[in-house]
Amino acid sequence: MIEVKNLTKVFIQKNGEELYAVNDLSFTAERGEIVVLLGVNGAGKTTAMRMLSTVLQPFSGTASVEGFDIINNPQQVRSNLGFLSGDTGLYARLTAREVITYFGHLYDVEPSDIKIRIQEISNLLDMDDFLDKKVDFLSTGMKQKVSIARSIIHDPPVMIFDEPTTGLDILTAKNIVDFIHRCKNEGKCVLFSTHIMREAERIADKIVMIHEGKVLAEGTWQEFKEETELNDLDDIFIHFVNRIKDEKMVNEF
Amino acid sequence: MNFKKILIIYKKELLDLLRDRRTIITSLVLPIVLYPLLMIGFSSMMSRQEMKLEQQQMLIYLNDNILDETSIRIESELQNIENLQIMQKIDFYEETPLYELLKDKSIQAIVDLKDSLSSTGYQVLIAKIIYDETSERSSKTYRKIADKLFEIENELVGERLQRIEINEEILTAIELKKENIAPPAQMLGFALGKFLPYLLIILTISSAAVVSSDLVAGEKERKTLETILVSAARRNELVIGKYLTIITITIITVLLNLFSMYLSFHHIFSQYQADAGGLQLPIGNFALILILMIPLVTLFSALLLSISTYSRNIKEAQSYQMPVLFGGIMLSMVSFLPGFELSFGFALIPIVNFSLLIRDIMLGSFELSYLFIVVSSTIVLDIIAIYISIRLFNSESVLFRTAEEKSLKFWGKDKKNVFSPQFGFLFFIILLLALFYIGGKWQSENLINGLIKTELIIILLPTLLILKISKTDLKKSLRFNTANPINLILVMLLAIPILIVVGLIMQVINIIFPIPESYMELLKNLIQDQDITFWKSLFVIALLPGICEEVFFRGYVINVFRKQGAWKSIIITAFLFGIFHLDPFRILPVTLLGIWMGYLLIKTNSILIPIFAHFMNNGLALILGRFGDTIPYFGKILQGGEFPFWWGIPAILIFLFLLKVFAKINDNIHLSRSNAPALE
Repeated sequence: MIEVKNLTKVFIQKNGEELYAVNDLSFTAERGEIVVLLGVNGAGKTTAMRMLSTVLQPFSGTASVEGFDIINNPQQVRSNLGFLSGDTGLYARLTAREVITYFGHLYDVEPSDIKIRIQEISNLLDMDDFLDKKVDFLSTGMKQKVSIARSIIHDPPVMIFDEPTTGLDILTAKNIVDFIHRCKNEGKCVLFSTHIMREAERIADKIVMIHEGKVLAEGTWQEFKEETELNDLDDIFIHFVNRIKDEKMVNEF
Repeated sequence: MNFKKILIIYKKELLDLLRDRRTIITSLVLPIVLYPLLMIGFSSMMSRQEMKLEQQQMLIYLNDNILDETSIRIESELQNIENLQIMQKIDFYEETPLYELLKDKSIQAIVDLKDSLSSTGYQVLIAKIIYDETSERSSKTYRKIADKLFEIENELVGERLQRIEINEEILTAIELKKENIAPPAQMLGFALGKFLPYLLIILTISSAAVVSSDLVAGEKERKTLETILVSAARRNELVIGKYLTIITITIITVLLNLFSMYLSFHHIFSQYQADAGGLQLPIGNFALILILMIPLVTLFSALLLSISTYSRNIKEAQSYQMPVLFGGIMLSMVSFLPGFELSFGFALIPIVNFSLLIRDIMLGSFELSYLFIVVSSTIVLDIIAIYISIRLFNSESVLFRTAEEKSLKFWGKDKKNVFSPQFGFLFFIILLLALFYIGGKWQSENLINGLIKTELIIILLPTLLILKISKTDLKKSLRFNTANPINLILVMLLAIPILIVVGLIMQVINIIFPIPESYMELLKNLIQDQDITFWKSLFVIALLPGICEEVFFRGYVINVFRKQGAWKSIIITAFLFGIFHLDPFRILPVTLLGIWMGYLLIKTNSILIPIFAHFMNNGLALILGRFGDTIPYFGKILQGGEFPFWWGIPAILIFLFLLKVFAKINDNIHLSRSNAPALE
């Protein structure tokens, strides 16, 4: 599971001003649950996920993955985590098998287990035909499958997907969505970020709406609909954004 | 850190790189192919040159003022020289047109024959050969003519001896026999011995550059960096794995270079059956060079890895690597510049030291002590470079560097933009160039007037103009505030220990890098020129620079870097101040003085204090230079204008004490980030 507590990230901009990319973010994601981080571009989704995956250090607050703290035990956090984003690349000069094997080694999977895992994943994602081809010669869909395989070679209990469907066609995106559902069924904890409302609706067990680094609302679509008495997802999101703007205005006066 | 994991990363990176065409070409193929091609090119060029010279026509002008039997004989003998022609006689009243012909290479020599009589009444024929030593063809013509004349002389002397019935053989006490062995290979050997270190270093750096740009900037570009950062590998394991990969491939490059060099040498020299002209070819020398190259490779790998880590993509990495490559090319060139010998000073300069050391090994004589200095100084640099590259890889602001603003912020709408770093740099460079070209010209015409004009017109005037344009409050940006008299007194007292410490630093630099005599002479003249009154030189050397240079550096430049925080802006400004003195020997001491001035400015918030400190420093140096010898007791210690080294200890102690007093008096201003020099 994932527990995020008051997570904050400040970037110092070129002009010397501070930018709160993530501001006091808190939420939890349980095993067998798909939690969606929903927000427009620049809302702080990627920064939050990078902190969870220990690539960035939080300014204040903390989070834990499977009970391991991201600040004190980054190593264990990463070992328990599978990370996939829409724009991550692959080593073009290696074959699919070499790429997956490399990450297996990096995640401390036993060499004999790596072979078995690759076969399992390959059967699951239908990768046998291109497993020994160089990544450079693969289609986008095939590459996507290699990326998935790369992220689950160590069978992590927690999966983080950072806008994984951005820029993909319907069929390739469906591979991902199917895969996310499979993760859920296997009892994994899934954190998923997107700016597409419908996608969030389709797969989320819980939605965390964030805007300008802050949590706007947390709950299921059903709860949101009841709370706002609106039906359209976009309208609901805009409603929440406006509410926070109004609060800001009130505070400033 | 887990060594097994480093090994995994290392193996993967090697595999990945060995499938990369760019790496294969620059790191592996180029060294193998280049040397044989180079050798073939070189040797065929040399032998062709030799042949061409052999076949070249030689045209000479013969001016025969005697026209007797002997001179006519000379003329016909000269005509017999192969490929030599004597020009048609023209009447010249002057020699000039003939010289012109010689200069534009229409003719190769002028032979002027005159005769005189020796004291015993024999005829002595004077043959003057005028030729051009810089032209290979002309020198060759000279040698041929001289050889021929020598031959004729022997015959003439023989005839004379016969006439007085003495056997000609009496003259032969030594019989000189010369045999011209094929020189091309020999010349080749000597040239190559000087040229190869340069080539080796350049190919090594290029290989490291290509590999390192792929390893981090390449991962950023292909968006694979994040996938390894989120993996269970630690950052240090990643960076060390990558670092070892760069070193490995680069050392393979060096190995291939040396191997290919060795093979092609042996091939070519055994073919010519000639010695290598001093070039040392035993395989042991090549092995020694290979081992020696390891610390240099380590240094460059770390440096280029840092650049790659900082860059956002391969293209950016390559453009940042350019200065390193260019610097490498410049520094390694010393191996074939005449007059550069490995010394203690040169042994400390990276690349220069290797270039000279490898040359010496190639040419067969090197000093072991220098070898140790070269290697150990490089190892020190290695440690620093490795530390920096690991630090950079662990810094998220470097690893995830966002795009920078590309536009050059000129003043445009916002006049305050004259205080942007971009504009500041540009302005600095313009003044630097003006100082070099215009100031240099003025000073060579008239030293004193030139200095005055330089300070006022090149430094002060543009600075005031730029501050005016910025429409900022001149008093505020210049910090034209009243100075505390206690501070003035303290700065005056501090000037003495500072002068001694800086003087001692200069003396140390002088020991490591001996300053050319002519240069010292110039400095001395400036300080000791007795034609100029003391007060005038005090004005030119101390007061004027104090005001003009401080207004420029501590009034303008330091504000440009205000966003870097107080210390960084002080140090950057001081370094530019050091460069501004256009003198590599003085960069360090002048920079230190600059740091002191900057510190005084920020601490007292008044430009008058650094102006006064600058004036005191230059003024004291002037007084010492001029009157140092005449001061009783003091003059004796100060033999030849040098401070005894033990003075450094009391000077530093006094400096520290006074500094503490100064800091206590001015403790209201702390040099923290929030107290950066600010315009606002």
